[in-house]
Amino acid sequence: MYTAWTVKHKPQTLSEVVGNNEAIQKLTNWIESWNKGIPKKRATLLYGPPGIGKTVSIETLANDLKMELVEKNASDYRTADAVKRFAGLASQYSTLFGDKRVILLDELDGITGTSDRGGVRAVIETIKTARCPVVLIANNAYDRKFSNLRRYCLLIEFKKPTVLQVARHLKSICASEGIEADERALKLIAERSGRDVRSAVNDLQALAQSRKQLIYEDVAWLAERDRKDVIFKVLNTIFRARDCLEAKSAIDAADVDPDMLFQWIYENVPHQLTDARDLAMAMDALATADVYRGRIRATQNWRLLRYVFDFMTAGVAMSRQRTKPSGWVPFKFPERIQWLGRTKRDREMQSLIGMKVKKKMHVSSTRAVKEILPYLRVIFEANAEMAAGIAKWLDVDESMIKYLAGSEGRARAILGNISG
Amino acid sequence: MSYEMWTEKYRPKSLDEIMNQKEIVERLKSFVKAKNIPHCIFAGPPGTGKTTAALCLTHDLYGENYRGHLKELNASDERGINVVRETVKTFARTRSIGEIPFKIMILDEADNMTRDAQQALRRTMERFTETCRFILICNYSGKIIEPIQSRCAPFRFTYLSKEDQHTYLQKIIQKENVQVLDEGFNAIFEVSGGDLRKAVNALQAAASLGRPINTETMYSVVGRANPVDIQNMMLLAMKGNFVEARNKLREMIWKYGLAGNDIIRQVHIEIFRSQLPERWKIKLAEAIGEIDFRLIQGADDEVQLSALLARLTEAGYEIQKGG
Repeated sequence: MYTAWTVKHKPQTLSEVVGNNEAIQKLTNWIESWNKGIPKKRATLLYGPPGIGKTVSIETLANDLKMELVEKNASDYRTADAVKRFAGLASQYSTLFGDKRVILLDELDGITGTSDRGGVRAVIETIKTARCPVVLIANNAYDRKFSNLRRYCLLIEFKKPTVLQVARHLKSICASEGIEADERALKLIAERSGRDVRSAVNDLQALAQSRKQLIYEDVAWLAERDRKDVIFKVLNTIFRARDCLEAKSAIDAADVDPDMLFQWIYENVPHQLTDARDLAMAMDALATADVYRGRIRATQNWRLLRYVFDFMTAGVAMSRQRTKPSGWVPFKFPERIQWLGRTKRDREMQSLIGMKVKKKMHVSSTRAVKEILPYLRVIFEANAEMAAGIAKWLDVDESMIKYLAGSEGRARAILGNISG
Repeated sequence: MSYEMWTEKYRPKSLDEIMNQKEIVERLKSFVKAKNIPHCIFAGPPGTGKTTAALCLTHDLYGENYRGHLKELNASDERGINVVRETVKTFARTRSIGEIPFKIMILDEADNMTRDAQQALRRTMERFTETCRFILICNYSGKIIEPIQSRCAPFRFTYLSKEDQHTYLQKIIQKENVQVLDEGFNAIFEVSGGDLRKAVNALQAAASLGRPINTETMYSVVGRANPVDIQNMMLLAMKGNFVEARNKLREMIWKYGLAGNDIIRQVHIEIFRSQLPERWKIKLAEAIGEIDFRLIQGADDEVQLSALLARLTEAGYEIQKGG
């Protein structure tokens, strides 16, 4: 079953929250001050960009202090009436069972009304008479509609954590998932997410889930986050479309590079269409789209692009005949690009050796790679003496010998034979 | 033990040493006698002696120092027609010293040239006919444009017979002191299918293991040379594990640089060797043929072969259901 890592690896205690030590200390002090009576400010406003731990800070703090957290978000207090409905909760600090209570109003940016009318006004009224801590959360505390509200609140700013802090968090997730991750890769994810911890964790999941290893090249190609959202939306349309036109509309809806989109669809077809017959039909549609791509290349006639689109969208969408609906299946990143990245060194090495072979053996370097290199590999693995002779004859260098031999030890044996 | 690749060490130097393709060799010898050759197309499958014949012909025409009269170009490596044109210009501008007034240009894998490049080549060939003769080497002469074909003498090379291959390999194993059992010979032939270059490379790789060569050695070499097992990939697909099968395919293509046409040829062989119901073999052969054709036309290896794997997954499902 699929669980979002943002949920699975959500901090359980305040100490696990990434960064923002100063803000968290301030928040803790303020909450604890309630034990000595009602403080001057009965509410606090936590503000800062999304995905950096505002909500999770108060959640874990309440949990650590064994307080009851009453959580409301935008839809619960859209209007003054809605606010009044739960305002009563704020009139008591201790609950019936002796627990202490915190009221959390999340996503305050979505509230209606101006600074002293409607929802905001009702929130202010609630705060004025509150007998328990009221925590407000907003992205922008300096919105004009909050100008009155601010006077009643202790303002605590949450800042973006550093790239290093985010990367460290990702590393601990990888550790508990049993993934060996390259530090540079994690830093890059952190950077690309704009130091938004939540989106960084989402990206990490998309890239690394059910894998043992994550390297820099896996991440390097990762598109800017909002581009990914656009692609996800397009994929969603295609895989859920009921008719051809709906599926085809996905292309017009977004300005996505067709080749890139093709790779996304190609990657995800087997995960979305699990019935063997549907799968075959959809892969067939993609193969047909690919034939038209080839025809465009050959004729340079871009008019044919419309048929590529037909088959990669409508063709795939209409293949869903028998696959049973099964909840939400997460989209996978196109692995082909990762394969290209991961095997780049291999292919570079192969083509260098191919060039050497070409000089001696009257074949093109590409054919050398395909037809001769595999046998060289066998010889270099099995017979250091013969390999040494061939290495000299082909004039391959140490790194090529190492590649062909497949291990340091065997490469050393061959090199020993060359000098000896 | 010898320290170079045996395909080069034992490549015939002169037309007299070529033991197969008898009719072709006879015609080429008559060119040598006349000290004149037309433009030629050598067409045929890999490992049948096209390049060797071209090199031997040149050797026999000019003698030991034939290299100065010869230029080898490979169309797959030098795709741009400008490279060909410039190379030909500089090479053919000066007349050959000696009694033969022209030089020879071998253009290997010529079927990889685009039609535009071939058109340009045709003009170049005409312009320099006096000073330069072309030998175009390709797998399919059909991919060479008509105007070029009509200006060339065509030669069709065919796969070596089992006997010819045997005689040739026998010479090598005597010189190199390798022990090959009869069954080993059969295995080599099966593996190479008459492609002599492949046969010799496989033989050398097997010899490098340092034990008498039998069927098992041969297949272990082939197994090592093809680290990803095509049969295994097909099995995964048919058992319904398409995603895993696609990953194997990616490993073959991206990590080991295998070509789509090599993979599909192997898949084709395996289908007919398999235990599948007979009518499914034919059904799948149709799909394979279509996809092979698409590959020839330049479609994407991975996408097309994935579609084929999906067909195998479908077949596996239908067969299990009793279809």
